[in-house]
Amino acid sequence: MLWVDKYRPRILDKMIVHEEVAQNLKKLVSEQDCPHLLFYGPPGSGKKTLIMALLKEMFGPAAEKVKLEQKAWKIDAGTRTIELELAMLASTHHVELNPSDAGFQDRYIVQEIIKEMAKNRPIDSKGKKGFKVLVLNEVDKLSKEAQHSLRRTMEKYSASCRLILCCSSSSRVTEAVRSRCLNIRVNAPSAEEIVKVLEFIAKKESIQLPPEFAARIAVQSCRSLRRAILSFETCRVQQYPFVMNQAIPPMDWEQYVSEIASDIMKEQSPKRLFQVRGKIYELLVNCIPPEIILKVKLLSELLKKLDAELKHEVCHWAAYYEHRMRLGQKAIFHIEAFIAKFMSIYKEFLIATFG
Amino acid sequence: MGKRKTAVVCSTSPEEDAGRKQGSRSSSSKSFAAARKRTRGGSSQCGVGEISDKPPSRGAEAFARLSEDYCECLQDFPSTQGMQCSKGNELWVDKYKPSSPAQLAVHKKKVEEVKNWLRERLIASKEKFGNHVLLITGQAGVGKSAAVRVLAAHMGAELCEYSTPTPTLWHEHVHNINSGLSYRSKLDEFEAFVEKIGKYSLLSSSNAGASRKATIILIDDLPVTNGRVAFGRLKKCLTALTRFAQLPTVILVTEYHRTDNVPTSHFEELVSLLERAGAYKVAFNRLTVNSIKKVLSHICQEEKRELPSIQIDQIAKASCGDMRNAINSLQFWCLSPDNLLISYVSNSMDINSRVLSDSNKLSPIVGLFGHEELNCGTDFSYGRDETLTLFHALGKFLHNKREVMDQIGLELESLTLREKFERNPLKMDAPEKVLSQAYGKARPVTDFLHENVLDFISDGAIDDTWLVTSYLSDADCLLASSLLSHSSQKLTEMDDSQRVSQPVAASVAIRGVLFGNKQPLSSRWHAIRSPRLWQIEQSAQHHKNKLMVERFYFSNGFSLSLSQMVTDYMPSIKWLGSHTTDDNGHEKLIQCITTDLIPPADNFSSNTIESTFREKIEDDEIEDW
Repeated sequence: MLWVDKYRPRILDKMIVHEEVAQNLKKLVSEQDCPHLLFYGPPGSGKKTLIMALLKEMFGPAAEKVKLEQKAWKIDAGTRTIELELAMLASTHHVELNPSDAGFQDRYIVQEIIKEMAKNRPIDSKGKKGFKVLVLNEVDKLSKEAQHSLRRTMEKYSASCRLILCCSSSSRVTEAVRSRCLNIRVNAPSAEEIVKVLEFIAKKESIQLPPEFAARIAVQSCRSLRRAILSFETCRVQQYPFVMNQAIPPMDWEQYVSEIASDIMKEQSPKRLFQVRGKIYELLVNCIPPEIILKVKLLSELLKKLDAELKHEVCHWAAYYEHRMRLGQKAIFHIEAFIAKFMSIYKEFLIATFG
Repeated sequence: MGKRKTAVVCSTSPEEDAGRKQGSRSSSSKSFAAARKRTRGGSSQCGVGEISDKPPSRGAEAFARLSEDYCECLQDFPSTQGMQCSKGNELWVDKYKPSSPAQLAVHKKKVEEVKNWLRERLIASKEKFGNHVLLITGQAGVGKSAAVRVLAAHMGAELCEYSTPTPTLWHEHVHNINSGLSYRSKLDEFEAFVEKIGKYSLLSSSNAGASRKATIILIDDLPVTNGRVAFGRLKKCLTALTRFAQLPTVILVTEYHRTDNVPTSHFEELVSLLERAGAYKVAFNRLTVNSIKKVLSHICQEEKRELPSIQIDQIAKASCGDMRNAINSLQFWCLSPDNLLISYVSNSMDINSRVLSDSNKLSPIVGLFGHEELNCGTDFSYGRDETLTLFHALGKFLHNKREVMDQIGLELESLTLREKFERNPLKMDAPEKVLSQAYGKARPVTDFLHENVLDFISDGAIDDTWLVTSYLSDADCLLASSLLSHSSQKLTEMDDSQRVSQPVAASVAIRGVLFGNKQPLSSRWHAIRSPRLWQIEQSAQHHKNKLMVERFYFSNGFSLSLSQMVTDYMPSIKWLGSHTTDDNGHEKLIQCITTDLIPPADNFSSNTIESTFREKIEDDEIEDW
């Protein structure tokens, strides 16, 4: 088992980061009435860990006994029936799924599942009707229609089921849904917190971790705890005992993107664009989400090397094409348009400054 | 006739349908009867042409005898079907069949090539020649069979044609089964025929009398195959034919237009297969307008009809190089000469043409406009719709040929654009029209343009590149809006806005490419690639599905989102996998994950789309359209 999973805190009391949030959640559950919850925060900040711990707090160890179901749904949508298959993790008390996997048909899934869960709700030991919890991941990727239907069903079936929504950015969740939930912001852990976690793991694994090295890992992880632990483990495999100037292996795709960025900076021509296209294809084949390529990595790599006066314009175009990418169908068209635009801007700049 | 016989009808005249020239008809019927008699003898030495497909059972033989008698009776009647049309208004296509090599409309060199080939084989048929198969390809109506017939007659050779058996109807089949006959597919019969040719060709020529003429076998009609297995059999059969044929054999293959919804790769496969097997290939090119015009005016003379030359010109143009179509059109046009409308139209056209020819001299641009007007104004009620291959159309878009500037500056004074928006007029029809001729669909066309356009932009023009890519990005957004209805596979539900968005997207993509590429590279040879994107999407989808399934097992009961998995987990796992560890637990996990999750790299390259499209593209040169 990877360390990320091995040292994931299972109960709210053992949380190292977000202790305060964990305590609040505990209080919330102990009062028996739990509202719908919306967790949001950057990737690697511990949302899912919190949710799992919360579920355990609510239902005891039964919540941990999950099994994978590949469930086929037959949904009657007026004129036709839609058949969908969706994988979900389910225990006796909760169901967890990624409705956005269903693509544009997500709204049917959301409605149908909640309806079904409301139908057969569990009865607790005292004969009182309990509730089931539905964990929905990546709510921000749901379509507008799905979010609307989510809103209605949340109200209708709130007696029998609770929703826990999880997303990285709350801005893409509609106001209506947000206002019906208790919003819980999960911050990205600070470098100190990450170091604390790394030291905790080092102690458990009985590894000597020099504090400077831990700090370096923390910095390079971009405040993602998951990333930090993963690279800690790779470093451990790479070389142990640690040396001071040990290189921390970067993610291979990130390295690839920075290669692309330097390609773009070096030459601006259709031919180069064509080569770059081939490299981006490589990334897409490996399912790296195109938004992440464009926004998170490529842009920041380019900005690093860019003259200050161009930064604003380049950011503008990156945002423009990221939006386009959401509207459009094939990401490569838009990424390429952005790169072409960047090349054009950059070339103009080079000619203006150096003649 | 209940019993169908596959027989090869021997005839010296170019056509064997009981039709016209009395002399040739009687001779052909004689040979026909002779052939029959031989079969009746029940000998195993059948003539070249014959395939006796019946089992040697007595009942069948008796039946065959009956049917033969019946046939002979039929032939004593003066022609049955041919009669009605032979009374004066025979189809001109048949009436004016070429009778000498000089009359053939096909290019002389090609005729000469075929002729030489045939002569070599006929004279030296005793000697060992490597191959005895000639393959003639060409569009419908260029005169492939006409050429072979004329040349055979010219050289005094006898032409034996493999006539395809008439297809069986279902109730006939039921009837046959009841009477104890088993069904044989056309392919079976063709196979049997090929086998016979290989075995008996020499026998027959020695058998059928001393002063027998040289024989040429003509296969005009390859059996239609459906599915891989049948096609494989046909291929095998043809290879055998080219290897073992001992008489000169001519195979005609009609070239079809490649549109994306008709799987015509069979045609190419067959041709390349035959060539590989050693057949000599002659490709008949499309007929030129001039050669069609020559034939048409010749016919007009013969028929003593006066047609304005512009008329003939138009018919010739509208026929798209299809002689048969052109002659039919001509006959149709001349059907009712008293029709006032026609004379009116032709008059007006006369004037039109005069104006045109004048203006043509003046400036090429007016000529261009005039031409367009002509095309839309006097649309024919007949003639073939011109089609283009998709590659042809793409070539037009990508090469982006334009009129030379200068004169236009004066002409279009009223319409002043800023310099950066100015472009020379296109050297083609409206892009939408070209696209519709190629039956292009928006999505594939956009993908093709996206894949290939970068090759056509001159090297320094990065601004143009951006312009083109931004238009393609627009087109993609437009296409995405029609995605929903597409994937629900209910085209009827598609509402109007979506139906419009498809062609609009195509238009944006094409015009974007045309407009954006300000200084296209001078035309040189370019292969058009099929979009690599398709292949990428497929393997990405494949990969994704795999990950989707695996991700739940990944971290015991803790579901990860796909992007987390791909961006964080996978790289570290891959990395860990590449460095051996002393930690056993690690290794196991990593091994099981890496073997399951990371598809081998060559998975990507061995893709079905790739391989099928490669072939299509390799031989599709778009140099100069």
